[in-house]
Amino acid sequence: MRRRALPALAAALLVASVGACSTREPTTDPTGSDEPIVIGSTLALTGAFAATGIIHKIAGETFIDRLNDAGGLLGRRVEWRVLDDQSNTQNIVPLYEQLLSGPDPVDLIIGPYATPNILAAMGVAERYGKVLPHHTAVLRPQLTYECQFPGWSIGPNPNRFIPEQLFDMLATLPNPPKRIAIATVQNGSAAFVTNGFDDDPTGVPTIAAERGMQVVVNEQYPVGNQDWTGIAQAVANAQPDLFISNSLGADVVNQLNAMAQLGYHPPLTFALFPAPGPVLGLSDLAEGVFAWSMFEANQPALDRLGDEAKAIVADFVSRAEAQNVSYTAFETQAAASWTAWEILIDGVKAANSLDDKAICDALHEKGADTTFAGHLTFDPAQNNFWETKVGIKQVQDGDWVMVWPRDQASAEVRDPRT
Amino acid sequence: MTATAGTTTAGSATAGTGAPKTVGTIPRGLLVLIGVSALVAVVATFSSDLGLASYHLVLISTVLFWATQATSWNLLSGFAGYFSFGQGAFLGVGVFTMAVMAGRNDVNYLLAIPVGGLLAGVLAFVIGAVAFRLRSLRGEIFALLTLAVPFILGSIALNTRSIDGGLGTTIPTPDRPDWVPSFQHLMVLLNLGAATIAVAVALAVYHSRLGRGLAAVHDAEDAAEVVGVPTFRYKMTAIVLGGVLGGMSGAIFAMMLGYVEVPVVFVLYIPLFIILICVAGGRRHWAGPLIGAALLVVLTEWFKVAKLDQYRDIVLGLLLVGIVVIAPDGMFGRLRRHPWIALVTFLVVAGGLLASGYYAELDALLYGMAASVVVTTLAGLPRVERLWRRQATSDSPAAPAAAPGPGTGAGSATRSSTGFAAPPPPPPGGRVLVSVEGVTKDFGGVRALDNVSFDVTEGEIVGLVGPNGSGKTTMVNLLCGAMQPTAGAITIDGRAIKGLAPHRVAHAGVARTYQIPKPFTSMTVRDNVAMAVMFGRTGASYAEARQRAEQCLATVHMQHLADALPESLNLHQRQLLEMARAIAAEPAVLILDEAFAGLNPAEIDDAVAVIRRIHASGVSIIIVEHRLRVLQQLATRIVVLNRGTLIADGAPSTVLNDAVVVQAYLGRQRA
Amino acid sequence: MNTVQVVLSGAMLGGLYALMAAGVSVTWGVLRVINLAHFGLILLGAYLTYQLVTIWRVNPLVTLVVTVPALFVLGALLQWAYDRLNIVEFNSLLVSFGLLIVMIQVAQNIWTADHRELPRDINPFDTGSLSLGPIVLPYDRLVCLGLAVLLLGGGHLALQRTFVGRGMRAFAEDRTVAASFGIDHRRLSVLLGGAAGASAGIAGMAFMLGNLIQPSHAYEWFGIVFAVVILGGLGNLLGTLFAGISVGALSGLVGVLWSHAYVPIAVFAAIIVALVLRPQGVFVRRRAV
Repeated sequence: MRRRALPALAAALLVASVGACSTREPTTDPTGSDEPIVIGSTLALTGAFAATGIIHKIAGETFIDRLNDAGGLLGRRVEWRVLDDQSNTQNIVPLYEQLLSGPDPVDLIIGPYATPNILAAMGVAERYGKVLPHHTAVLRPQLTYECQFPGWSIGPNPNRFIPEQLFDMLATLPNPPKRIAIATVQNGSAAFVTNGFDDDPTGVPTIAAERGMQVVVNEQYPVGNQDWTGIAQAVANAQPDLFISNSLGADVVNQLNAMAQLGYHPPLTFALFPAPGPVLGLSDLAEGVFAWSMFEANQPALDRLGDEAKAIVADFVSRAEAQNVSYTAFETQAAASWTAWEILIDGVKAANSLDDKAICDALHEKGADTTFAGHLTFDPAQNNFWETKVGIKQVQDGDWVMVWPRDQASAEVRDPRT
Repeated sequence: MTATAGTTTAGSATAGTGAPKTVGTIPRGLLVLIGVSALVAVVATFSSDLGLASYHLVLISTVLFWATQATSWNLLSGFAGYFSFGQGAFLGVGVFTMAVMAGRNDVNYLLAIPVGGLLAGVLAFVIGAVAFRLRSLRGEIFALLTLAVPFILGSIALNTRSIDGGLGTTIPTPDRPDWVPSFQHLMVLLNLGAATIAVAVALAVYHSRLGRGLAAVHDAEDAAEVVGVPTFRYKMTAIVLGGVLGGMSGAIFAMMLGYVEVPVVFVLYIPLFIILICVAGGRRHWAGPLIGAALLVVLTEWFKVAKLDQYRDIVLGLLLVGIVVIAPDGMFGRLRRHPWIALVTFLVVAGGLLASGYYAELDALLYGMAASVVVTTLAGLPRVERLWRRQATSDSPAAPAAAPGPGTGAGSATRSSTGFAAPPPPPPGGRVLVSVEGVTKDFGGVRALDNVSFDVTEGEIVGLVGPNGSGKTTMVNLLCGAMQPTAGAITIDGRAIKGLAPHRVAHAGVARTYQIPKPFTSMTVRDNVAMAVMFGRTGASYAEARQRAEQCLATVHMQHLADALPESLNLHQRQLLEMARAIAAEPAVLILDEAFAGLNPAEIDDAVAVIRRIHASGVSIIIVEHRLRVLQQLATRIVVLNRGTLIADGAPSTVLNDAVVVQAYLGRQRA
Repeated sequence: MNTVQVVLSGAMLGGLYALMAAGVSVTWGVLRVINLAHFGLILLGAYLTYQLVTIWRVNPLVTLVVTVPALFVLGALLQWAYDRLNIVEFNSLLVSFGLLIVMIQVAQNIWTADHRELPRDINPFDTGSLSLGPIVLPYDRLVCLGLAVLLLGGGHLALQRTFVGRGMRAFAEDRTVAASFGIDHRRLSVLLGGAAGASAGIAGMAFMLGNLIQPSHAYEWFGIVFAVVILGGLGNLLGTLFAGISVGALSGLVGVLWSHAYVPIAVFAAIIVALVLRPQGVFVRRRAV
């Protein structure tokens, strides 16, 4: 008796898990009611990307609170439902599906943090026809969905744009670099700057060659690399004029540390997406280091942008301090996050509706006004990547300062060799 | 304590009525599988009419995916007990096959799925061929070996631009036939297909010789090989089947992800989650991974959306600890003991919560499953179970599956032993069954056996004696093929056994017992013996084997213990079980390795009587022993080894009075 | 000279790997507990070091006074619980995985997911180094190697020479026999668990000398630490020390001669080769059969 019933139980559990799902209708779209508008997303609140994920969380919370204080959206309060994707791309599809078709589906969505996760979320957004503004995706050629809107933009060809902008800036120095050492992490968010995309091999080495510079070291290393001596030694031996660390997080800190142990310090250093706090932690070693940036809350920049920007930055900083974040400045990540939120809200206002098709069309038609990136226009032919407004920052006197391009700079480029 | 729960349930599965549960000729499990698969397919196809949201389809896909992976892992690691950390490698090969074919080269995904399975199968074959050839392979070495494989594959993918190159790959949303309403429907159907195939394979394996052989490998691999299980071939079959299934399902997983890169796939988290599913569900049965996947996927999905914030991982981590601590042998064992309680509890709780309208589906599912597990666990507590049993005995015929009373056992034993019309032992001096010619065995620089030669002819009981370190154990290992001689030749019944695997040697007619008994712990005494019949020289179906096992048990007077599990036996009974299992293979020669070790005098007399009965049935015997009194009684001839050389060979009375023997053997023993 | 420098640096870093691996190897080899929570203990050790150095503003080595006893107690408690609940082998793998998740989350709740590092003005080890002619020996790695030699070498001697150590080895060989010789396995295993915990505290401190820490780092240590454990031979401390140094040196060598991108392939291929050729561990003397 009992033995026979067993497989039936296995069956029943499966059946039940299916059957039970069907018993409840999803809540209907609450447009026009007094219910709050719910915006859903995931963020990397734990796991490898969590240090940056928390910045996006604080930025989003600041944004939503300020939006509600200013009367909400379409006369309704706005709520943000943020789930933790644990920095794991595997979790993205189920969680966005849950947000969109689970109990109490959300009205709008916004992207997660980090390129792979955004790419995974884009697939879901496309299937549901949802507008997907996102903070920080860089791989433009892969962002093919017409209703995804980037919150930062490294132009249509980031693998060409970033090296060219860097070399343009360095060309203004009295003694531009001739010999270049490159260290690249094998990660989708960084490797393209060295290796290019798919069939396009354009990257730092090819562009350096175009400009008559010599690549003396070109090292690749895996994520989670532990021993930096080899790379440091290779760079130190080659005695380059410029060290380019196409890396994320604290890698450049480890690399400069290892070089210092060997008694070497590169004359010029550029880091792609470094964790800003730990770089400053290098104190003297960090002085003069360049990095890619979208925005730095330097006083001249804030003065240019006006009181609204100042208030946002102050609000963000006080929240970050309260949350025990070690580096509280409002910079690239927060600015990209803020821009993504503004794109979404501007689109809703322009469409005067929560209908994603209408929002998407309105954004394509009218663009969006943002605090930190100005007016943006979106061309589906360019995968909505707007005219880039990114630049380069430098550590000057122990702080990050925007130094390039000139019209966004808060200070002159300093040559650390002098 | 923990072992008891698991083995009891496993035992009750095979004990009892006899033949595997079937309806007509089809196993019941298969009917259930077909039914469930068809039902899921229908539910998925008509999901919008049933009011199912896309998210529910994702949940179903996720459960099916992990169930497939866990089933694939379970074929080798659960059934045969070789834990693997390499499942991520099979999955990863599938994922990157899909990424390269469909993502980068626009090949149809329907082609990429079988190719992914094929490539993963090839990888599994290579891993198995390397690992299982290792003489000293132990479970943990295998686990560690497989741990390294995903890291290597991940690194290769990262360094190969045409596979990944650190850039990741987007898998385009696939085209689908018109009758499939959405992408998520397609995912459910593909995952369902893979899961159905996987479970069907597991079901078939479970009920086949392969499955029983793997279970024997799990319990006692040496003994399995010796009773004739081709362990290498079976392990290879299991790992390759698992690889193919894992690769297929991995290719589908790539489509579910939409974007794949190395850190998503080749991480330790994946094999750990799969192992967790199988441990939580139950590893020895094909349905365990299914239960585990349903339970753990719903649990973790629930935690992902639960508003516990920074306490989520703490609660989840402790729950995982709790699951393993409470049910180290899996939930399946508990649920199967009280299936109706489990089912009713689940339906009542889940249904009630849903009907109340205050709970989301995921909540209801999770709470229903949790309640079901808790209630069956409570119902399984000995104190509660006693209440339950007392009421249930009247209407549940299968309830007391324990051994029948000692009276009936003894009666039947007597009957059959008298019925066992002992033919007179064939006169010694007939056919030569075992011929050892000039055998030498070196271990490194140590010579364990040096140019040893002797014969065993039909009808003999040869005593093989010698002090410790004389080479007796080495001789036994050579005779049953577990080791190969450095020089010389061994012939069994006229057939040279050089290079034969132990199970082939077993088929040539050699059976042995172990000094420290090695029963198949998850099987009843009867099934232990039946294994030897099934995999013996003549082979037999499971049902036949169980009947013939009864005769062998009668020979050793163990019939009354046929339904007991080995762990409930005392040492003497275990030795008798060893003998029963050995004669079940109908050997020409039976080697008894220190069969009297640790027995009291009464037990020794009993064992001697059993051995005489075995001999009377026409089996020639080699007794490895150092107790001379016993040998004097039993042996027709004695062969003495000392420090690897043969120093005497002859009739007991002659040999035991031989000066050299007394010097080497007795002298040393007295000193 | 170049290659020598890199291999030497790698070998010294190998001391850190060996420190991390020691606890895993011993609990696995002797107690049959595959303790993934050990990585959580290392993480806690690292964060405790960070916290104490920041508050007290003392040399990181001084913090061992607190971290070692604290983690000894934690390790002993953990082992006591495993023992009580009879959790060994693969079940311990899963239970300790659950505990690791808990520990990582606790670390994140206390110290956030930010990168943390020892303040540079109090950490005398981070960028300094000892010059020996053309060869440079970074201070942090010297400390790692020194501690590894002291701890693993000392531990090896303790296992070989002391009564308790012999008891443990007897226990690893055969539990029932050891028990019949009057070895109290409960007390022994709790002691050993505590020692493993203490070693995690030291490893955590050593890690902090030259690295930044994040809660998710616990996962990043898996690969290299298991590599060292396998190559060293389960429960063999001297083997673990040599394995750590070899893995470090091999990584450096492959990085110099080939590419850093191929280091994981080389290390894990070495594992497979080693397991196939010498399943008992590369650095274990072969026992007579």
